[in-house]
Amino acid sequence: MGRARPDTFVAERSPNRLDMSLSFSLKTVGGSAICLLLCSCGGPSGEEGAVTKTDTLAADPTTDPSVMKVGGKLFSLPSPVQTALLIRKLGLEYKQDLVVPNSMLDAMTTRNSKALAMGMYGADLAYLTMYKDGKRAVSTLQAIERLGRELNVGNAFDQPLMERFKNNLNNEDSLLLLGSAAYQAADRYLKSNERADISALVLAGGFVESLFLSTSSPGALKDQNLANRIGEQKTTLGNLIGLLRDQADQEGLSALTTQLVELNELFSGIARTYEYAEPVTEASTKTTYINSTSTVSITGDQLKAIATKVSAIRNSILA
Amino acid sequence: MTIRYTAFLIAAVIGSAGAVAQSGSICDPIAEQCQRHITEQYIPDGQFYRTLLNGDETAEFDLTLFGGTTYRLAACSGNGDGSLFFSVVDKKGNVLFSNRDHGSGPYWDLVVANTIDVSVEAQLDPAKAGSGCAVLMIGFKK
Repeated sequence: MGRARPDTFVAERSPNRLDMSLSFSLKTVGGSAICLLLCSCGGPSGEEGAVTKTDTLAADPTTDPSVMKVGGKLFSLPSPVQTALLIRKLGLEYKQDLVVPNSMLDAMTTRNSKALAMGMYGADLAYLTMYKDGKRAVSTLQAIERLGRELNVGNAFDQPLMERFKNNLNNEDSLLLLGSAAYQAADRYLKSNERADISALVLAGGFVESLFLSTSSPGALKDQNLANRIGEQKTTLGNLIGLLRDQADQEGLSALTTQLVELNELFSGIARTYEYAEPVTEASTKTTYINSTSTVSITGDQLKAIATKVSAIRNSILA
Repeated sequence: MTIRYTAFLIAAVIGSAGAVAQSGSICDPIAEQCQRHITEQYIPDGQFYRTLLNGDETAEFDLTLFGGTTYRLAACSGNGDGSLFFSVVDKKGNVLFSNRDHGSGPYWDLVVANTIDVSVEAQLDPAKAGSGCAVLMIGFKK
């Protein structure tokens, strides 16, 4: 059984990346030319009624450049909305000055810094929405729209979205849905257009900002539930580092990756346990109840060290 | 010689562009179809997961599912629902859910009591597709 080659995640590291790229390019060029010839020549459509299953890939999937350049597995980063929901659920005080000021926008001049900022503003948007700061949420969405335009992430953050957002300021559910759906559409556009590097940086920015909001909210470091949630992101952080190491622009990303590796070292001291328990499935409601148990042990000192490091990473992104 | 080389180059460029567009054109309609299963009760996680599968290849998606959350997973391939098998497996290899046991339905809800790292393993139904794009979408209840 083979493993597929997803279009994001950890690549097999090779010192001969250039050689591989060249080799790949040649394969692609040759393969494409052959494909073109075959397509233009047409051919028998097969015996009538003989087709019982579909092959939607006209060619070997390994000839698709958007897939060829990566290997390993896909992974999911927790949505910043989930963190914002938890912050509010725990009753932590709202602080408007925690979010990235819109005045920082002009300082974001490089592609990488814009992509990171786009992720950070996304996490801020969820936080502002949760605390019903509509005015600031709208201005944050305007910042996101500008970054999206400058990064060319498709039309996910277009004027109609802005209008829908403004028209639903009193409807938290709609705002969360609109923001998340727009980020998903942008992610899809980027991945469909071979720009997974931008997608990765947007995710990284959102991850750092979510951690910052959860560790910097007043009273956060005293709340065990929030501490646990931070500790539970140990695996995610490891995956994120892998994702960034997979991107072509290693020079531009080295400072961020190094800082995240240092953060990961602080996470390495967090202990997690897992105990399997039989899940229960209700077929009628298409629902499975996952009853396995898990624990996370994170000390106050570990949490403080993580909070300090996250703040430093965030500052260096915004510097 | 120069003309032949130029013709080859043009063909190659067009072909390469076609190959790039291929994954988008194959996956986009599947994504549209899959998105319908993340209904308004669920907030999308903001990410888009896809991979191209050939034969019996297995795609693996790693997720952290947070405790106290209800997730909806939608996994799609091909022209209609039910072309993709998917299973949710914990890090000890225990299968927590498999849609093979439920008519290979395209979506399922997971009510998660405690935070857990899992993998979603997706494979084409060999009876329905020999190759194709597998799309995974995730939503959660507020």
